[in-house]
Amino acid sequence: MRLYSASSEETLRARKLLTDWAGEGFLTKAQYQRLEQETVSELRTTNVFLRLVLFFFTLISVGAAAALFFVVFLSGPSQQTAGVFFLIFAAVCYAAAELAVSQARLYRYGIEEALAVCSVAFLCAGMQSALFSGSPYLPKPAQFLVPAAGAVLSLWIWHRFGLSYAFLAAMIFVLFLPGDWTLSHSAQHLIVAVFYATGLVGVAAVRSRHRFDYLEEGYSLVEALLWLGIYLAINLQLSSFNLLAQWWIGTRDASEFARPFYWATWVLIWCLPPIVLVRGLRQKDRSMIAAGAIVAILTLASNKPYLGWPRYTWDPMLLGILLTGIAFFIRRWLARGPGGIRHGFTAARLSGKDKLWMNVGSTVLGPLSPHSITPGPQTSSPDVRFGGGQSGGGGANSDF
Amino acid sequence: MTILTRLEQWKEQGTISPEQHAHLAALSRGNPFSLFLELNVLHYAGVLAFVAGLGWTVSTWSQQLSDVLVLTILSTILAASFWYCFSRAPVWSPAETPAPSLIFDYVLYLGSLIWSLELAYLENRFHVLSGQWDFYLLASAGLFFFLAYRFDNRFVLSLGLSSLAGWFGLTISHWPAHQDGTYRQYALLYCLLVGVGGALLQRRGLKPHFFGTYLNIVANLLFWALLSGVFNRQGYGLWFLGLLIACGASLAWGLVRQHFAFVAYAAVYGYVGVSSIFLRGVHDQTAVLGYFVVTGVAMLVVLVQIGRRFGRPA
Repeated sequence: MRLYSASSEETLRARKLLTDWAGEGFLTKAQYQRLEQETVSELRTTNVFLRLVLFFFTLISVGAAAALFFVVFLSGPSQQTAGVFFLIFAAVCYAAAELAVSQARLYRYGIEEALAVCSVAFLCAGMQSALFSGSPYLPKPAQFLVPAAGAVLSLWIWHRFGLSYAFLAAMIFVLFLPGDWTLSHSAQHLIVAVFYATGLVGVAAVRSRHRFDYLEEGYSLVEALLWLGIYLAINLQLSSFNLLAQWWIGTRDASEFARPFYWATWVLIWCLPPIVLVRGLRQKDRSMIAAGAIVAILTLASNKPYLGWPRYTWDPMLLGILLTGIAFFIRRWLARGPGGIRHGFTAARLSGKDKLWMNVGSTVLGPLSPHSITPGPQTSSPDVRFGGGQSGGGGANSDF
Repeated sequence: MTILTRLEQWKEQGTISPEQHAHLAALSRGNPFSLFLELNVLHYAGVLAFVAGLGWTVSTWSQQLSDVLVLTILSTILAASFWYCFSRAPVWSPAETPAPSLIFDYVLYLGSLIWSLELAYLENRFHVLSGQWDFYLLASAGLFFFLAYRFDNRFVLSLGLSSLAGWFGLTISHWPAHQDGTYRQYALLYCLLVGVGGALLQRRGLKPHFFGTYLNIVANLLFWALLSGVFNRQGYGLWFLGLLIACGASLAWGLVRQHFAFVAYAAVYGYVGVSSIFLRGVHDQTAVLGYFVVTGVAMLVVLVQIGRRFGRPA
């Protein structure tokens, strides 16, 4: 079912680990060179920058080719005709993606990924145009077929090509399903959460068979996404399209939901973070730990709106002190263990990838962050003119 | 064959020692499991949330709180942060120096952000420099560069570079008749100054690992400035020539040094600039779309060839 053989992907993984270990000095140069020759894969890969650029230019080429087809061969086609051609483009793009892998052996090369993404986009556009545009007689509930088809094809691409972001796309398509089934907001939240929970059960069952192999990382990311999705579906203060406006204006109206449902979700948003964190720590799963930390912070941030309590300007300060305190305590606690290790965890850096991420993060986030440190004054005190983020790095106010 | 099986095989072949096998197999099983990255992210998020809350509180309540109280709090945090950094820092070395502790970098970052906050407060409340923000930015940039080089901190280096850019921008905004062209010229001057400065420091062996940060910021700013000139209705010829030269230099640098981010910059910025020139005045849809199909495919072919010849997985 998967386009790439297990041995090819295991070989690529081994090669990456070898590079990392050699960089950290766990292998000598001679050992690395010898082992590198034993881990040659027939798959064609590239680095992340070329991958992104190849993805970009494939999107441009395919999009322009489709538009050119309509301009040259079809003048003013009906929606249905356009839809049929979109569906044909979807099939062509998917076939091209398969060919790029089977013939050219491309692996995370940008080109085959963009073709697969285009096939999903064309499929949705085609179904929408062919089935639902200009046909008011079709019952509205059938419109769920468009996101359903998008979700199914995205899941298939995730399974076939191993692209984790295709799974994320499927999760986003699922968000649009219940809107056509029911008008009840509570039911919509519940349906999305049930979909994600079903996926979670399936993924958790499958991933236990892939401990320490090449699929583990992919399944770990998918499980973390599903936990995050369930959390966002049940956190009624976060799962809204006009989230930012609501947060600044005030809390989301609890009367929009049945009281038992509202308070049940409040209990759940406090229950989920420890569950995700403990599962992540027990499995030593980086994605799950990150998901657990994110949902814990989101729970702290959304608790006051949930309860209808007023927000204070010093709330972020308290959150910052809490986060720093937790990080400081964990580091000290781990460092005091024998060899800096406790229960199989350490605060020391063991991989070159961590250093790379830190360097990239500090270069990118360093100048960006000050823009957020001095928000504009609130409307309650109009006389106060202080603020605006014009100091220090914050003064880099996009003049260039 | 999983990595654990491979390691077993390599041990039996004698390629790796039993000690190496034990160590690498344990690492593959996540034993020990490093929380290095997660703890760093928590520290960063904590510092950012704290300073954001402090800034928000000060900006909201600055008239209710007394100036003395606000300045005392900010100065205390600032002094404590810098005292911690100067008292714990190892002896200065021009080479890359690891931070003495995990929180060190974040205490320095906190101090730098508080410095910015305090200056902003002083100016807004007392108008010490009568709105001449540019001097604050220049002073802050100087301080941040000093701190970045003293303590080997990329966060603060990035702050310094953005403060310097802000100084250039604000200085021009005070001029009575500033125009886009002026900004562009000063963006180029900034790129020249920072690029040459970074290169000189690297050649002198002063924190040479910072050079990548300089180059990435300069490259992006330079391309934006050149592109904005190319988009001009008139007098874009020189800017276009400059863009082509910059693309060539970026491509050459990326290929020679195997820094493929620069190949990507050359490809994307160059494509946007060249396309804007070629499509200027073209209103025929077929021609425009045909252009994108042909050039898109051509770019793919060229990039695949580059990837084959020079590429390496990253």
